[in-house]
Amino acid sequence: MIATKAPMARKRRKKGIAVAEFLVFTLPLLVFLIILYGTLLWNFYVSTSNWVSTAADYSFTGLKWYQYLFRQGRFWVDVQNNLKWLILGVVPTTILAILLAYLLELAPIRGVESYVRTLILYPVAMSFVVTGTIWSWMYQPEKGVFNTILRSVGIDSPLTFTNNPDQATYWLILIFVWQYLGFAVIIIQSSFRTTELQEMIEAATVDGASKLRILFSVIIPNIRAGILVLVSLLLINSLKVFDIVWIVTRNGPGIATDVLATNMIVTAYDQRLFSAGAAIGVIIFLIAFILVIPYTIYALKKWFE
Amino acid sequence: MKSKNATLKIIVLAVLILLSCVYLLPIYVMVTNSLKTLPEITQRTYLALPREWQFQNYTSALFGSRDFLIPMRNPIINSSIISVAVTALAAFFGGLGGYYLSRTKSTFARVIFVLVGIALYMPYQAVIIPLTTITAKTGLINSHFGLILCYLIINVPLASVLMGTFFLGVPRELEEAAEVDGASRIQIFFKVVVPISLPAYASVAILIFTQVWNEFFIALTLITPKTQTVQVAMAMTQGSTISPYNLQMAASLLTVAIPLVFFLFLGRYFIRGVLAGALKG
Repeated sequence: MIATKAPMARKRRKKGIAVAEFLVFTLPLLVFLIILYGTLLWNFYVSTSNWVSTAADYSFTGLKWYQYLFRQGRFWVDVQNNLKWLILGVVPTTILAILLAYLLELAPIRGVESYVRTLILYPVAMSFVVTGTIWSWMYQPEKGVFNTILRSVGIDSPLTFTNNPDQATYWLILIFVWQYLGFAVIIIQSSFRTTELQEMIEAATVDGASKLRILFSVIIPNIRAGILVLVSLLLINSLKVFDIVWIVTRNGPGIATDVLATNMIVTAYDQRLFSAGAAIGVIIFLIAFILVIPYTIYALKKWFE
Repeated sequence: MKSKNATLKIIVLAVLILLSCVYLLPIYVMVTNSLKTLPEITQRTYLALPREWQFQNYTSALFGSRDFLIPMRNPIINSSIISVAVTALAAFFGGLGGYYLSRTKSTFARVIFVLVGIALYMPYQAVIIPLTTITAKTGLINSHFGLILCYLIINVPLASVLMGTFFLGVPRELEEAAEVDGASRIQIFFKVVVPISLPAYASVAILIFTQVWNEFFIALTLITPKTQTVQVAMAMTQGSTISPYNLQMAASLLTVAIPLVFFLFLGRYFIRGVLAGALKG
């Protein structure tokens, strides 16, 4: 009897220790995840209620505020601008990054790589608030930096940059591309640096393939994972864009550069339509969720392989 | 891949010059204009060098002056407190969570991983209204804890994935040896895994510090005058009548100084952190 009891007690104690260990490692993370997803659900609840002043009002109104948004012209301006951001913030950045990373691989001049890395990566350390502030100096129509340079080479520039409602969003996206290019290049570079790919490139070079041919038929098909990661990150960051718009144009001229994120703040905190603001939040979340699905599946497979 | 191709060299050189112009110009504008007098600025010759270098602009931007009513001193202190607290706590909790995710293959771990993965890309707009409600109701909004809590919610999952990525690369043999000696998982983690992962902690800390320091949306929404962060103070100088442009540029430099110093001197850790965040998580 005694002989069998002891191992059982030890077993139970061991199980207790395992649970304690499990909690030490996971509890903090779980607490923050619960708060995060709790607030997400809470926000959804707000979007279906009738909170339209400083005092919270949780009476259920269904999809009333979503319908309200869809009737607003401003909402559709936002959707168009967000689409411009999603396409022009991602595609040119990715293409430029691939070309630049390839050029750095080929660069025969010593020291070029570390110089270029530092040069184009430093904006990663800066905030969009500061970048936006500097770029609004560059963009000033009268005597801004760009127009001064253009004038000094004899071009009387007609560009008014972010003051022109038809072009403003594009000039804002340019700041984003400028800021994220270095980040994009190092991600592409690191997916170049696998031994298999280097061997394939070498083999293709021995076979006499041209440099462009190697880029398109050897490199690009083999760095698909890196491209997926980069495109997903850029998509999310250009969807979430808030700071650049807020700092450089404050949605203007008029609402020409308004995006969902800035409209959310205006609707919830300036107009005090908290339920409508929460509804915009839900919409942004749903778009973000769809955009990260391929990436999450990829990451999950890679992590638990 | 050494190439003797002359056209290639010319292309590289051209790209190099173009990139140098495009990336050095903003820094040049920021530095030179932060050292000018106000009359020089109002003539709007932004590209000219300052006639005399006005280093006192930096003290005016830091401590405020008659023309500059947004001294950066307190915001820098606020941002430092918030960023350091979030970085330390997120790295600690994230290390624990990341270790669990990197050593367990249960369904539960997979579910947590997916929840963490989505959390990394959570748009703040989707949670900001409840966060303001919570911090206002509990009074946290009046102290640094409000912003610290909000940033932890986002950054603990991030730190978990980053640290987990590094832990996946730590050889198990070391831990198995300690396990044979009868050490518990917690002892193994703190005595074996953490000491060899210190460079990883450094990378994650730099990344999170920079992110929190540069964050604008939550800081703008949850701000009270007592806890104003640098980014919010900086945004107030924009287009404002109370801030002369030369001092605004000096304030910009003060705002970016700390993360930029990290980047220039600890660039290796910085890049490793960025890559870990991007590639595996």
